[in-house]
Amino acid sequence: MLKCKINGKEMEVPQGTSIIEAFKLSGQDIAHYCWHPGLSVAGVCRLCMVEIEGQPKLQIACNTMVQDGMVINNNSETVKDVVRWGLDFHLINHPLDCPICDQAGECGLQDQYMQFGKYDPEMAERKVKKRKVVDLGPTVVLDSERCILCSRCVRFTDEVSKTHELGIFNRGDRSEIGTFKDRPLDNKYSLNTVDICPVGALTSKDFRFRQRVWYLKTAESICPGCSTGCNVNVYYNEEGLWRVRPRHNPEVNGHWMCDEGRDTYKYVNRKARLLEAKMGHRDNWTLESPGAAAKAAGQKLREVIEAHGPESVALVLTGQYTTEELETAVQKFKGDLGSSLVYHWVNNPESFEDFDGILLRGDKNPNTKGLLKILEQEGVSLTWKDLESRVQQGQIKTVVVAGPENQSVFPDFVEKVNLLAGVENVVWLTACPHSVLDSREKATWQIPLKTYIEKAGSFINHQGKTQSFEVGTVIVSSALTLAEAATLLVGQELEVSSGDRLAELTRKKNFFTETRGAL
Amino acid sequence: MADFQLSAEGVEFVKAELKRYETPLSAVIPCLYRVQKENQGWVSPESVSYLSQLMDIPEAHINEVLSFYTMFNREPVGRHHVQVCCNISCAMNGARELTHHLCKSFDVKEGEVSKDGKLTITRVECLGSCGTAPMMQINDRYYENLSPDSAVKIIKELE
Ligand code: SF4
Ligand code: SF4
Ligand code: FES
Ligand code: FES
Repeated sequence: MLKCKINGKEMEVPQGTSIIEAFKLSGQDIAHYCWHPGLSVAGVCRLCMVEIEGQPKLQIACNTMVQDGMVINNNSETVKDVVRWGLDFHLINHPLDCPICDQAGECGLQDQYMQFGKYDPEMAERKVKKRKVVDLGPTVVLDSERCILCSRCVRFTDEVSKTHELGIFNRGDRSEIGTFKDRPLDNKYSLNTVDICPVGALTSKDFRFRQRVWYLKTAESICPGCSTGCNVNVYYNEEGLWRVRPRHNPEVNGHWMCDEGRDTYKYVNRKARLLEAKMGHRDNWTLESPGAAAKAAGQKLREVIEAHGPESVALVLTGQYTTEELETAVQKFKGDLGSSLVYHWVNNPESFEDFDGILLRGDKNPNTKGLLKILEQEGVSLTWKDLESRVQQGQIKTVVVAGPENQSVFPDFVEKVNLLAGVENVVWLTACPHSVLDSREKATWQIPLKTYIEKAGSFINHQGKTQSFEVGTVIVSSALTLAEAATLLVGQELEVSSGDRLAELTRKKNFFTETRGAL
Repeated sequence: MADFQLSAEGVEFVKAELKRYETPLSAVIPCLYRVQKENQGWVSPESVSYLSQLMDIPEAHINEVLSFYTMFNREPVGRHHVQVCCNISCAMNGARELTHHLCKSFDVKEGEVSKDGKLTITRVECLGSCGTAPMMQINDRYYENLSPDSAVKIIKELE
């Protein structure tokens, strides 16, 4: 361990720690644009200047290693002066068009120039005009004028996505981020460049101009997109979710997430959701509240069991629910209804084991491991074939399906619904509607469920790591969790919770007033 | 544009350069020069793709180097690339007027290829021959102490 002093604070850091890392460890602020903990060191922005006792010149903190006994500060007048002038160089050709910039509110440059009062650059010359609104690819838009050439995005495509699309072309004040022959920036991780761009040069096509970030609140969650289970922050307001961004977890996803995972907020919002329960069959549906519908379906379940025995009802589960929900569902089903017919619906068996070497996995369920654990714990080991043959033989009169929340990753959705076409009663628990369910000829209950962001619980990812999460926000308040639905289906009543969690939710602080300017 | 390929010796050259430095990236400049030489004086996007394959370096990174240095031409040039120095010593000795004069004499705009494909005239910064200003470089050769007439004569004598 090396001893050092940072802004007067005594510290011990491991060998090989850079000064900027030591600042981070000590919890003190240090300006930086080009350094990113997940990328190599570039040392180009010159903003992280520090003064080291005994050294005549200032050094950059990101590319200087701590040595034993170093006394370092970044709050002397010399450092402040140098940073102020460094900032001026960054502003020479920066348009400072914050009012129309999507990054405003979470921009490193904006925070810095405001802190130093540099609302106008001290240059008499006209600013160099560069390309604005460049369509970089399917997901990202580039504004060259705003780019401060920190090279984070270039290093990302070189070091993380390893797709090497981006480069800095030309020289001097004509330097610009670009792709060779203007080819699209098109990879599965492209939106990370938007996250790490410290200014508004790279913006997300999906998110830009839809919300001002300071009106959004943040909640921590786990991406339900695949079995990697990237840690994420979701950004929401009273209308719903607006974007998903990665949250650092060195054991799971590092600093990154894939572009696909960022789309998982879409099916959560009201527009995509099943808002009321539907009971009936093709062309003849009655709307009902989710709770009442679940009770009615439960009534039917018990009638069927009375007439045909417990082995006439089956439960189909997907790895899209929390371990806790799955446990309750299986236990209620086995314990209270007495049927042991529980099945695991695997959506894409061919590509289930795929892995792209970075984050994305072929198992598009966040909790397959959790489901397998519960099935084992409850002693269930039935194959899908078994269900198929029982259905064909007409033994099954009623099936309860905990359908996928994220229907887009279930290519066999229609096929599975059709498989159950002949079953007399189907209780389909689902967050989102699907037309093929509406055209079912036989008795059907479609009961709205909550999505991952609206409930607390845990997922077990592909590594076997249990990751818990809390309620982020509630979008469809009447929708049920799988556990609640299962409770009502077996004829029990729901416990009314004390409401503490809701109170806590509403008190949640605005993320941006808490961590403004953190890059 | 037809696909570009280096000659057998060119490929050998690139392979040798790749071994010469600590990182393959260092070999980009000499290899680009070679390409420019074998591609009628300019580096086409196709040749960048070709070089990228040959050197196993992403196209974007070769393009970074290519677009940084002015001595690489990213547009076709004439058989003779006339670079007139217009930096301080040369400018004081009439290099700008000389450039205009040359363009007029050979009926070609600055930076463009003449109709017969013979010439491209461009202005460049100091070529390090300030003592013999004004001067120009045609392909790999320096021509010094120019006057408008001598410069025209020199160019006329080229094929
Ligand atoms: S686009 Fe953004 S991340 Fe890329 S170099 Fe410019 S400022 Fe940095
Ligand atoms: S890799 Fe998987 S868990 Fe991570 S963001 Fe993408 S879909 Fe979500
Ligand atoms: S963060 Fe150190 S130079 Fe940019
Ligand atoms: S100024 Fe022309 S060669 Fe130096």
